[in-house]
Amino acid sequence: MLERSRALFRVDAAASQRTQGNTVYWILASTASGLLLMGWLLPWFVNAYSAGVGFSPQDALISSPTGVGTFLIYILAVTMVILVLSTIVEPVARRMGRRFGPRVDRVRLIAALLGLALTAIIWFLVKVLAEEPLFGSLQPGTYTDSAVWLTMYGYAVAALVYGARRWVVARQTLAFGVAILPFGIFLPLMFHQAPDFLLWAAGSLAIYMLLALGLNVVVGFAGLLDLGYAAFFAIGAYACASFASPTHNIHLPLWVLIFLGAAIASMFGAVLGAPTLRLRGDYLAIVTLGFGEIIPDLATNNVFNLTGGPNGISGIDQPHYGFLDFSASPRWFYWALLLVSVAVIVLLRNIERARVGRAWVALREDEVAAASTGINTTTTKLLAFAIGASVSGLAGAFYGSIVSIVSPDDFSFSVSIAVLSIIVLGGIGNIAGVILGSFILTFVIFWVLPNMNEWSTTLSQTVHVPALAGIDFSSYTYIIYGAALILMMLLRPGGLLPSRARAIELESGGETESLAAVQGVA
Amino acid sequence: MSEYKGSATVDPGSLAAGGGTASLVAPAGLAPRQAQAGGLLGSIGPVVRAVHGWTSTYFAAILLLMIAVGIALTGFQHGYTLMGEQIKNALVLGAIYALVAIGYTMVYGIIELINFAHGDVFTAAGFYAFAIASVLHLDGLATSSFGGLLLALIIVFPLSMIAAGLTGVVIEFVAYRRLRDSPRLAPLITAIGVSFLIEGIMLVVEGPDNVTTHQASWINGQAFTVAGVSVLYTDLFTIGMALFLMFALGAFVRRTRLGKAMRSTAQDRTAALLCGININRTISATFFIGSALAAAAAIIYSINYGVLKWNIGFHLGIIAFTAAVLGGIGNIVGAGVGGFLIGVIYVFGGSLFGGEWSESLIFAVLVLILTFRPVGLFGVEVTTRA
Repeated sequence: MLERSRALFRVDAAASQRTQGNTVYWILASTASGLLLMGWLLPWFVNAYSAGVGFSPQDALISSPTGVGTFLIYILAVTMVILVLSTIVEPVARRMGRRFGPRVDRVRLIAALLGLALTAIIWFLVKVLAEEPLFGSLQPGTYTDSAVWLTMYGYAVAALVYGARRWVVARQTLAFGVAILPFGIFLPLMFHQAPDFLLWAAGSLAIYMLLALGLNVVVGFAGLLDLGYAAFFAIGAYACASFASPTHNIHLPLWVLIFLGAAIASMFGAVLGAPTLRLRGDYLAIVTLGFGEIIPDLATNNVFNLTGGPNGISGIDQPHYGFLDFSASPRWFYWALLLVSVAVIVLLRNIERARVGRAWVALREDEVAAASTGINTTTTKLLAFAIGASVSGLAGAFYGSIVSIVSPDDFSFSVSIAVLSIIVLGGIGNIAGVILGSFILTFVIFWVLPNMNEWSTTLSQTVHVPALAGIDFSSYTYIIYGAALILMMLLRPGGLLPSRARAIELESGGETESLAAVQGVA
Repeated sequence: MSEYKGSATVDPGSLAAGGGTASLVAPAGLAPRQAQAGGLLGSIGPVVRAVHGWTSTYFAAILLLMIAVGIALTGFQHGYTLMGEQIKNALVLGAIYALVAIGYTMVYGIIELINFAHGDVFTAAGFYAFAIASVLHLDGLATSSFGGLLLALIIVFPLSMIAAGLTGVVIEFVAYRRLRDSPRLAPLITAIGVSFLIEGIMLVVEGPDNVTTHQASWINGQAFTVAGVSVLYTDLFTIGMALFLMFALGAFVRRTRLGKAMRSTAQDRTAALLCGININRTISATFFIGSALAAAAAIIYSINYGVLKWNIGFHLGIIAFTAAVLGGIGNIVGAGVGGFLIGVIYVFGGSLFGGEWSESLIFAVLVLILTFRPVGLFGVEVTTRA
């Protein structure tokens, strides 16, 4: 026990900087290369796909009337090749024992800045001086326009990574935020193609991410397995539906709504948490599961005439708040979601390290020991439930105003399990892991699976296997959740990005010291 | 983590009782932690604690009283014939819950894991039986004559029980065995994963709609009428079969070597290991028996209701788990009695408050049990040694 606690709190600063900082460095470097490649290839793919003819940047540059454009494109290609190739070669070289020194970094920085400047010049030439387009039209809403923005962003990230490598390694989180956040902010400006799709995708992602972050407080930080988490989501959504719809003729603005949703949900979290305080582990799980089933049941049965029965509440207001006209442009929704998500992430990160967060860890590790060191277990547990529920209520309020209709079916057990799968997949108790998990799972569930039907139909026509066409992949979600939970728990219990403390706890096994060895023999 | 082990040590009193009532586990580990729970209860005051203690002590009496009042109210409101009908329905439903609950209680007793997949093994077993009946064309055989019916039952029961039992063993081997010594959260999450995996497979294979199994036509006719309540042969078969299986299981656990091995493994795994008991085999056997009983319950369910759906096992499983908790988890007799009680609560709750509230009522009962009497009706209150 003592050894385990020591391992928990031992911080090898140098080692953590070496590994963690480098992780962020690698992530950013590959992001930059990926963006550059995407920016280069996107117009080609799109044009080849839609027009059916080979329309590549090369074609465009041959047909470009001025020699200036051709010249610029060649330099641009060189900078891109330098950056992408060096990113690919660097880990290989490293494995062979050679490190890229500051001189290489300087070359790459110059390449990145040059590329950034050239892309800006091209943009300026085409947009302002109305030069013949180099590789497709640059009208807003076209893929080529998006490609130029992606390229510029890629160069900017590359410049940051290679120009300020030591800073990136030293202040990894800050560097990651600085590099990635502007992308999130400018995304709706860079992609005009389908604003509704963007909102829908970002909305699903952000809502599941918020839910997962909230559940992570309860399950990851405090170690209380909550299987009825969708209940609080439902409460937030119904609160939003009640206070911003014609049902009761109350129309509150979104900013009030989300706090109201969070407050009501956290109240419920504390109230529902109270009877479960004395329960441990699996009993807690089953009781929360019961609550998770009761709440949608109450909504279905239209208790107190508040919830509209099985059809739910429809006609929730599109938030209209001063100059922020959400109905006219989904972008405002996007930015509101981004703002709230970032705020929640920062807040939870701080809470995790505050006194309460450390109390949760202690509680999770050993409740008796935690109580005897003076931690008020009741308050601490209730706080975990309340904070977890409040984030979920926030997500619920957003959900209500995005989909504008809430019904009990949206909050079934499978939602709770989807959120649990996100946490388990990403890394229980690790905020970065949870974010990663929500990206992966929402991508698979909301994009890959619905598209799989189409892909498999295409594939079946190509390879002449008619059986492939009939499969409805959207019914595979349950299998994916189940497989994710089982495989992660069996193979990598800490998740894709394990939290250090949690990994130690899950791997050490805890309960049995020598018995495991004995049973291995038996 | 270590406190679980400490609190699960066996109380001599309950051990003695365990031999008699075929109890698999000492309920000491589930006792409320009064020494520690002082926070909320203590701050509100001794009154709450007194009320809590009183409710906890007389929980069984209060629950039975409520059930009796519920039954009587149904009689007053809707007439005594309907009350009789409902009692019959409750017993039939209770028999199914009891059989499923036994699987939960055995598994929890032996490895302290809520096997969330158990309810889905129930559904899968129902589909196995349906498949066996279709492949062997048993529907025609069963409806042709009494002998044919007997033959069909003799074919379908063992085959699907073995298939379901093997499913349970495979689940344990693949998903739970490696996690037996990890912290509790890990096998619990895996169990949910297995449950979702099975449901997902059934959703893909059997489709999202109700599947008619035709087994409702197997047993026909009215046996006799008591006070206006017509009792069908199906009802008699259901309750008779359930009781037979439960008593057979009781005898098995009490009398045979494997049953003894199960009880000792449940009480103290290390000590059982030191006595030369093959732990892995014993646990596999437990899963086999639990899943086989779920299969029997699933066939009975098919014979009674004639439809299956990919996700019926989930809610049915939670309700059966409530039954297991009500009877004191780890206690096989308790699970049987709890199953019938939950059946009564489900049916009469439905007739009093409306059928849409039945499940909420059961979940509320579950929360109440775990709040006031986590050791169950038959559990012995033991001072905690956490």
